Amino acid sequence: EDEDEANGLEAWERAYTEDRSWESLQEDESGLLRPIDTTAIHHAQYRRRLRATARIQKGLIRYLYIVVDLSKAASERDFRPSRMAVIAKQVELFIREFFDQNPLSHVGLVTTKDGVANCLTDLGGSPESHIKALMGKLECSGDASLQNALELVHSNLNQIPSYGHREVLILYSALSTCDPGDLMETIQKCKKSKIRCSVIGLAAEMFICKHLCQETGGTYSVALDESHFKELILEHSPPPPAIAEYATANLIKMGFPQRAAEGSVAICTCHEEAKTGGGYTCPRCKVRVCELPTECRVCGLTLISSPHLARSYHHLFPIVPFAEISPSQNDPNHSFPNTCFGCQQSLLSQGNKAELSVSCPKCKQQFCLDCDMYIHESLHNCPGCESFR
Amino acid sequence: MKFKIEEVTVYFPYDNIYPEQYAYMIELKRTLDAKGHCLLEMPTGTGKTIALLSLITSYTLSKPQSPIKLIYCTRTVHEMEKTLAELRLLHDYMVKCIGPSAKMLALGLSSRKNLCVNNKVLAAENRDSVDAGCRKLTASWVRALAAENPDVPSCEFFEQYERAGSAAVLPPGVYTLQDLRTFGKEKGWCPYFLARHMVQFANVVVYSYQYLLDPKVAAIISKEMQKESVVVFDEAHNIDNVCIEALSVSVRRQTVDGARRNINRMRQEIDKFKATDAGRLRAEYNRLVEGLALRGDLPAADGWLANPALPDDILKEAVPGNIRKAEHFIQVLRRLVQYLEGRLETENVEKENPVSFVFSILNHAGIDQKTLKFCYDRLHSLMMTLEITDTDEFLHVQTICDFATLVGTYARGFSIIIEPFDERMPHIPDPVLQLCCHDASLAIKPVFERFQSVVITSGTLSPIDLYPRLLNFNPVVSRSFTMSLTRDCICPMVLTRGSDQLPVSTKFDMRSDLGVVRNYGRLLLEMASVVPDGIVCFFVSYSYMDGIVNSWNENGILKEIMQHKLVFIETQDVVETTLALDNYRKACDCGRGAIFFSVARGKVAEGIDFDRHYGRLVIMFGVPFQYTLSKILLARLEYLRETFQIKEGDFLTFDALRQAAQCVGRVIRSKADYGMMIFADKRYSRHDKRSKLPGWILSHLRDAHLNLSTDMALHIAREFLRKMAQPYDKTGGTGKKTLLSQEDLDKIVLEGSMNDMLY
Repeated sequence: EDEDEANGLEAWERAYTEDRSWESLQEDESGLLRPIDTTAIHHAQYRRRLRATARIQKGLIRYLYIVVDLSKAASERDFRPSRMAVIAKQVELFIREFFDQNPLSHVGLVTTKDGVANCLTDLGGSPESHIKALMGKLECSGDASLQNALELVHSNLNQIPSYGHREVLILYSALSTCDPGDLMETIQKCKKSKIRCSVIGLAAEMFICKHLCQETGGTYSVALDESHFKELILEHSPPPPAIAEYATANLIKMGFPQRAAEGSVAICTCHEEAKTGGGYTCPRCKVRVCELPTECRVCGLTLISSPHLARSYHHLFPIVPFAEISPSQNDPNHSFPNTCFGCQQSLLSQGNKAELSVSCPKCKQQFCLDCDMYIHESLHNCPGCESFR
Repeated sequence: MKFKIEEVTVYFPYDNIYPEQYAYMIELKRTLDAKGHCLLEMPTGTGKTIALLSLITSYTLSKPQSPIKLIYCTRTVHEMEKTLAELRLLHDYMVKCIGPSAKMLALGLSSRKNLCVNNKVLAAENRDSVDAGCRKLTASWVRALAAENPDVPSCEFFEQYERAGSAAVLPPGVYTLQDLRTFGKEKGWCPYFLARHMVQFANVVVYSYQYLLDPKVAAIISKEMQKESVVVFDEAHNIDNVCIEALSVSVRRQTVDGARRNINRMRQEIDKFKATDAGRLRAEYNRLVEGLALRGDLPAADGWLANPALPDDILKEAVPGNIRKAEHFIQVLRRLVQYLEGRLETENVEKENPVSFVFSILNHAGIDQKTLKFCYDRLHSLMMTLEITDTDEFLHVQTICDFATLVGTYARGFSIIIEPFDERMPHIPDPVLQLCCHDASLAIKPVFERFQSVVITSGTLSPIDLYPRLLNFNPVVSRSFTMSLTRDCICPMVLTRGSDQLPVSTKFDMRSDLGVVRNYGRLLLEMASVVPDGIVCFFVSYSYMDGIVNSWNENGILKEIMQHKLVFIETQDVVETTLALDNYRKACDCGRGAIFFSVARGKVAEGIDFDRHYGRLVIMFGVPFQYTLSKILLARLEYLRETFQIKEGDFLTFDALRQAAQCVGRVIRSKADYGMMIFADKRYSRHDKRSKLPGWILSHLRDAHLNLSTDMALHIAREFLRKMAQPYDKTGGTGKKTLLSQEDLDKIVLEGSMNDMLY
């Protein structure tokens, strides 16, 4: 009888049933409703991620194609409001985050629908243009084709210089692929050209995707819900370990253009029109570009600014993971102060019970969990160690 | 790893062991200690085979004063090879640990078709013609001729094997069929006869059920096996049917016609011999008068299928006088065939018991019971005398004699059923006379009596208390093990209603209902859109499958399904089905996705695995009851009720549910695997049906999943698939242990607390 009622629900009621907002609440001892405290879980996950990162050589100059599946399956509504909308939203976030972490890298967008693959944007360094292009093309129909998408990406990535890392990130909604030929051959081709393929599925595990990732050294994951999807896609923003054969030292020619004076007027090469103010001048051919990083349209020089390079630097020298201090170890008689070195907040929670905290193995300063996360994920400098200098 | 179970040191070739494997070994060891029989149910994918092999061989090693032979029976050649491969791994490990004293001889034995290395013989297409081809080259009289006249063809492998005599032995080791062939080719010895010879000396023998259960074959192959043997029947959930088939015969019109041709030919041969070599026929007559054993000291190559009746039931007497002369025997056969043909012409279904059937043979054809009983052996002797080698041509008359001997020997547990046409196609006359055995315990009784321990094991033996009654024995241990899992990797569901909330079932009055057909179609369609890669569907029968696929085709559902996945169908043709399966696998591999339509009780349901992405979901449409109007089934049910007090309903449900469990069990073949199972019939939600499913399925069947409709099942499927796609920790992390290492085991042995680990 329950189902009959469920079927007779009004649309607005159904929104609640599907949203399941009550599941994120729990009752505490006194019967009050509280949101489920997920910080502990989040922190545990974050610690696990941190442990995995040893100091290895990483590919900092990445050429990444994002393949977005816009087949019929992307219109499914098991993600709210639809898989397609969620993908678009997260891709936007991801592209911004990606360029923030990898200023020297390039992204391109490919979509697949109706059994074919289309190149939406070519490899480029400007987040805005990619996002704009994707938002304008959000329509889904037909079947997805993994082979066509891979072939297209393969032909595009084959031309990039050898120091760059070739990567594909496929966001796959469909559960099948409609291919013109033997997909296995294409996978082998990608493997040969050292293209690292990763897939994030939105519905269920598919054998061929798993196979693809295993063969090419990528990762395969399936999203449980929107937040999990976000987490999975953001895992692709830090640079992956470099492939051994490519790990040879390579000199790359780069230009550091100067910012033009405000008020100067020049024709820029990116928009091919006269612009006032801002802009950068290529140090080799003196042509004007609007944004960094980019490649000079005239002489082909890679143009970046020094902060970009500095931002990429931390991937190579990550801060060592902080050691956890269990509350029992951290007794008040100890010489350590009971405040976080970062935010100066007390490390004691209510009732004078010590909370879990961490300490830097180098400078032995204590930090609270929030600062720990902030230091490792955003700051990339340990305040304790820096203050000793 | 090495560990101790009581006083036995068990050698196990892997670094870790599942707790249920350990528990399984303990029970097995107790059975061996008690020298009794046992029934053990353990889900597939938990390593039954290696646990069995490892314990029994280790047990033998620990008791050198009374060596035990292991006879391992499998259903298919494929399983035989898999078992031998595991055994080799174990053997290598044991030799590494203990040294050469652990060496043993283990081999597989199969028919000539699988073992022959003579290309000329192997060219024949089926088993019977390979057998006949071999006989044409190796029969003693052919060889005698060949010795005189080099133009007569003979088999060089067999000749060399004979010449080597007692020197022809296999050195210790583990031999698969392939190894035997390679070894035979290398040495120039016939692998088939070598294997048959070595079976008596081997420590482990792996062969098919028939070699032990079918008296015709068992008397030749397994005669020499010592009493101190452990017999293992693996995948034994259908063992009662195998037993019954071993003692059942059916005679059709073609059989009768063929037998008549055979008799004529024998007649001609006799005339020819009379003219040329009358002495030979006389010699045979004299031999029969003296009542010499018919087979006894015949050379191995002449050995032919033995008497179809069980050894204890064969009379140790001389052949009766009225069939000692070849012409007389031919006359008797002729009358018998005549009589059977007359019976086949009936227009009604007839059912008779053997006693009255024998009596009516006596009245109408003048053949008494004793004569009937000797038919098979007499035919055998005659064919030897006439030096007939193309035995595959004489299958029909063999069937007739087979029938005569069985009907003359057994008065109880059998019945004779004559049907003028197949009930499903009443317009096509296809008369068949069947001698059906109803008592599975008959064929297996000698096995229980002869061997020290018999182990019956499978993934699905529930309800476990029914098997001892069906097979009429007292197990010392009967236990069902569950699977220890790190995550809930199976998701059984009972679907009782379609998307329109109306009940679905394949019950007779509902199965042709258009609403039910459509609901089943929608279910498959919706599932095809959320389940990746492979889906397997089982239907209750071929005719039902044909019907429902047809109507899906008509109302366009099939076309919609095809947009998601390709559809493959099992047919009664083996080659076609193999091809379909091949392409199904390909479609699953390349990501196109596929659905396989198959039939419960078919070939696919029994022997083919749909593990990993080849089967993420299995849908069982309906409850696979046997065709309840079949006369044979009715007769068997009656017999079971009268003899073993098993109620008809109980047996039918048991039989249907073990088939269903077998079907759905195809999807999960290891612990790392995952799969969903949908029982799509409202009858599964009833307790009496559901409770007969094996424990390892039941323990995952949640109450909330007992009464689902299509949309709810869809929701559950989505969630389940997402959950299963997440990476997981194989060892089970911090929770309960599902993989035991050496240290864990040592601890258990010290504390003696196995049960805490398991539950």
